[in-house]
Amino acid sequence: MAILELTSVSAGYGPVRVLHDINLEISAGERVGLVGLNGHGKSTLLSTLVGLTGWQDGSIKFEGEEIGGRRTHGTGRRTPHIVRRGIALAPQGDAIFPGLSVKDNLDSGAYTSTSWRTRKERRDRVLDVFPPLAKLLGQSAGTLSGGERRMVSVGRALMSDSKLYLVDEPSLGLAPKISLSLVSALSSIDIGDGAMIIAEQNLPLLAGRVDRILGMHAGELKLDVGEALGDVPPSAGGHH
Amino acid sequence: MIEVIISALVLASLYGLVAIGISFTWASIGMLNLAQGFIFTAGGYAAYLFATFATNAHVSGAALSIGVLLAGMLGSAIAGLFVGAIAFLPLHDRENFRTRSLIATLSISLIGTQFWLLLFGPQNQPLPPIFGDGRVEIGSAGISYGQLGTLIVALLVLGAVIIWMRSSRAGLQMRAMMMNPLGAAVVGVSVRKTGMQVLAISGALTGLASVLLAQVFFVSPTSGVQPLTVGLIISLAGGLGSIPGTVAAAGLIGLAEALTARYLQQSFVPFVLFGIVLLILTFRPRGLGGLLEDVRE
Repeated sequence: MAILELTSVSAGYGPVRVLHDINLEISAGERVGLVGLNGHGKSTLLSTLVGLTGWQDGSIKFEGEEIGGRRTHGTGRRTPHIVRRGIALAPQGDAIFPGLSVKDNLDSGAYTSTSWRTRKERRDRVLDVFPPLAKLLGQSAGTLSGGERRMVSVGRALMSDSKLYLVDEPSLGLAPKISLSLVSALSSIDIGDGAMIIAEQNLPLLAGRVDRILGMHAGELKLDVGEALGDVPPSAGGHH
Repeated sequence: MIEVIISALVLASLYGLVAIGISFTWASIGMLNLAQGFIFTAGGYAAYLFATFATNAHVSGAALSIGVLLAGMLGSAIAGLFVGAIAFLPLHDRENFRTRSLIATLSISLIGTQFWLLLFGPQNQPLPPIFGDGRVEIGSAGISYGQLGTLIVALLVLGAVIIWMRSSRAGLQMRAMMMNPLGAAVVGVSVRKTGMQVLAISGALTGLASVLLAQVFFVSPTSGVQPLTVGLIISLAGGLGSIPGTVAAAGLIGLAEALTARYLQQSFVPFVLFGIVLLILTFRPRGLGGLLEDVRE
């Protein structure tokens, strides 16, 4: 069953059209890599899914419910509804809360009322994925290193009760070793019948850690780059 | 000297309440609310109407005092929501929201003054004394019940609001929005809902200041102008968005006003206050807040 279905989706900011006629289907349980150069629309695609672009058009169905449609303004107006519906985004630039502690930053990911009550168990689960955060819980997030910030940002997305996790450029600005451990952690998370999309410039980093790789070029999708490159075995998902 | 300090503290707590409202609003939704004076006056008139009504119904004593305080806070909170409905909800996701909302709130402020004038006339309206008459003697100096009560109530309410902001989920959402609007959006905080909550709370704090200040002055159509000006000065000097910075700036400005009024002249007060904020902003463009905590990136 398709958890996410995009039909001729376009989006952009003001007069600029970034996405051109995107069609895409993602199944439950799938982990998808989205590769492409900077400025070719990876982040915009993820932003469109949660209603954060300037305008958008075309159909976006999430678990069968229409969350897209035509919109000329109102950036972010539907985002709370979509997030509550079950899509979590770890955005580019992290967007963490510098004056809040690491603990409060993580807890903020559980703002939807059902996950708020279980935030402690959720936090423990995130700490299993990112053990280094455990001893930083009381520290103010503004004082963290780049890698730690990224863990907080991704961890915050994992705190929610979501079906679809969107992670934008987990390796951006990080040392190779740290980005490798981050992406490995992402590929080892149990997503159950949910799905995950990882946008990433660094193709080798995703190889073998996702089920499928899609390419993006000039705002258009090139399906299944991985197969063309021959470096992603069809069943090489991170189920280990 | 003790009297100067007491008067400085009272001024600081009153102006601080208004300034924190301005600061919260700016930090969370990016709106410099020039209608804060209108909101201030709304609270004063709400308290005045309640006092008139309650006195006619022979309510007196503590019930009257608490009712007047609550009526003022409620009136200003509603005025805050009204300002939000006009200057925030229709505009916040348009281009140049900061400029547009500045113009919108300035318009509300100007029209609002005329509205109060039409509704209540130009005369000053008194509020009943909330804390009773009397003085506590401290050595050679004294502090009136009014001053003492003002200080205690202002600090209690401010403390309660700060604790609530730090511990509740709604408070966490507001602080999240102040620190990173994108981050708040992706965790599902609604800018519109949270923005209106901020306006209501900022309004209530301003309404409290309004009722407390009316213990000394009166309620009139223009009674919000002075608190708005000083509130803006303090929130700028404190580094918009920083609670410790705002509290420090309120203390400094309150002291400056009390000293100027005592040893120079009341009419020099605006010169001194604006001089201080100019100096602070020249040397610390982000206000005092940057010295005291990690503010917004």
